[in-house]
Amino acid sequence: MNVDVNIIGVRTMLWSFTRKLLLNKRWIVVLLIAAFLAAVMGYAATLSDDGLYEGSDLMSSLMLTFLLPIMALIYGGSMLRNDMDDRSITTVISSPLDRRVTYLGYYLSLVIALTVMLLIVLFAGWLAFFLIDGMNGEAVGLLLSYSVLLAIGAFVYSSLFLAMGVLIRQPIYLGLIYAFVWEGFIGSVPGAIGDYTIMRQIKVLGAEIVSEGPITGLEGDVMISAAVLVIVTVALFVLGAFAFRDKEMP
Amino acid sequence: MSDAIILARELSKWYGKVIGLNSFNIEIGKGITGIVGPNGSGKSTFFKLMIGSIKPNVGELVVMGHRPWRDPSYLREVGFCPDYDFLPSDTTGRDYLRFSGGMQGMEGAKLSTRVDELLKLVGMTRDADRNIGGYSKGMKQRIKIAGSLVHDPPMLLLDEPFSGTDPMVRRDLMDLVKSLHHEHGHDVIISSHVLHDVERLTNSVGLIYRGRAVATGEISEIRGLMSKYPHRIIIEGKGLMELAKQLIDRPYTVSLHLAPDRSSMTAEVSMPEDFFNEMPDLVQRSGSELTQMRSLDDDLESVFKYLAGD
Repeated sequence: MNVDVNIIGVRTMLWSFTRKLLLNKRWIVVLLIAAFLAAVMGYAATLSDDGLYEGSDLMSSLMLTFLLPIMALIYGGSMLRNDMDDRSITTVISSPLDRRVTYLGYYLSLVIALTVMLLIVLFAGWLAFFLIDGMNGEAVGLLLSYSVLLAIGAFVYSSLFLAMGVLIRQPIYLGLIYAFVWEGFIGSVPGAIGDYTIMRQIKVLGAEIVSEGPITGLEGDVMISAAVLVIVTVALFVLGAFAFRDKEMP
Repeated sequence: MSDAIILARELSKWYGKVIGLNSFNIEIGKGITGIVGPNGSGKSTFFKLMIGSIKPNVGELVVMGHRPWRDPSYLREVGFCPDYDFLPSDTTGRDYLRFSGGMQGMEGAKLSTRVDELLKLVGMTRDADRNIGGYSKGMKQRIKIAGSLVHDPPMLLLDEPFSGTDPMVRRDLMDLVKSLHHEHGHDVIISSHVLHDVERLTNSVGLIYRGRAVATGEISEIRGLMSKYPHRIIIEGKGLMELAKQLIDRPYTVSLHLAPDRSSMTAEVSMPEDFFNEMPDLVQRSGSELTQMRSLDDDLESVFKYLAGD
């Protein structure tokens, strides 16, 4: 394996695919989501009694619980699948790079683009809320904490939905069921069953690093949650990479 | 052939119940080689197997000493131009070539210089910074070929590069392919469903029909092989009975079928060149008056059916 060729190849993919994800037409949808979130959080701020607590609650429920898996599904589920369907993947698969290496290029591009978009939406909501409620150091701390959680979430959910895009022809349908039923519904059920969702593990980390809001009351072992998230991410990445290597592209 | 760069032995590929290639055997040496066959004969399947995008079900395929499935390392020495449109419409021609080069491990000034060279070679310098979505079919074909050349590979796989292009573009692309071999030293494997197109590029061809290699070698040998098989010729006019009597004794005549009204006749002949050479004399001797004479086998499909023994 020529290491230099692989590094340049992955770098080329990162530059090209991140730009493609960030600049395609879905960018308008991201702007609309950001505007909607800003409107909702801005309005909530006008009714708020405890700004930090409620701001954190809104960022947790709107950004972490809802937008993180949904945006990861929309971008991750369609990324490789679209390239396979419109055959623009030809340049990638006719290159001398091992398919598993090119899968890494897709994955990292997705993580970067997804994180950027999530942070833009988060910032819009956060700004609208705390401009009305009152900006302070703790508010900035909340923004940073949720930014970290969203970036972690982008790594985990990208590995899930990118792999789903390789393994399943219509990943969006199964992904929606997973996101709403498993992560959304099961994840919100009190008790041990919620521990089997990715979201619960991310929120356990959140309980450690977020200073305000209902998320701080969540109980769990941070080290175990971190280990679970790493294992799930790596396992799903490896599964996706090997499935991609063995995928026929007629 | 000891210097074969591509070797296929009993190679088979099927998609569900559809057969793409069926016990396909071929050896391809250096130079320009044409793979000729009608649409759906398995040409593109063979090309996809050669770049490892699909996996053979049965048989062996060796490309430049490598088995393509799961081993992309040899693709540094191969440039691939598929028959389908895969170019991203929202990217410029230059950016696409830069991306292709990057995927081959090229970067920086070396890549920029190479991209400029290629744009000049395929005559796309002026339109290089326009989005591919606005390109004509011919321009897209040129950019696709340039993309396959970006890393200067010794071997090029061009799948139907002339498909859908007008005669002028076709001529330019043919000149380009010839120069890629004669001036730049690339070995080229090119597919087409038009034998005449390939004949203008090379003498070396492989004929493929229904997933099988029905003939390989020099075009002259293949033409000889083709003439061993009976061709059907329709003859129309007056006095065909007398002409039939003349024809029936000829060594190349396989069968004759006169229409009930005697206004037309179908002659099945094994050596069409001899038949056409002697026809003026035979017509004169028989006193027939012909209004039309045409071969039913001018289309490539019929020729392939003969060669496949259908």
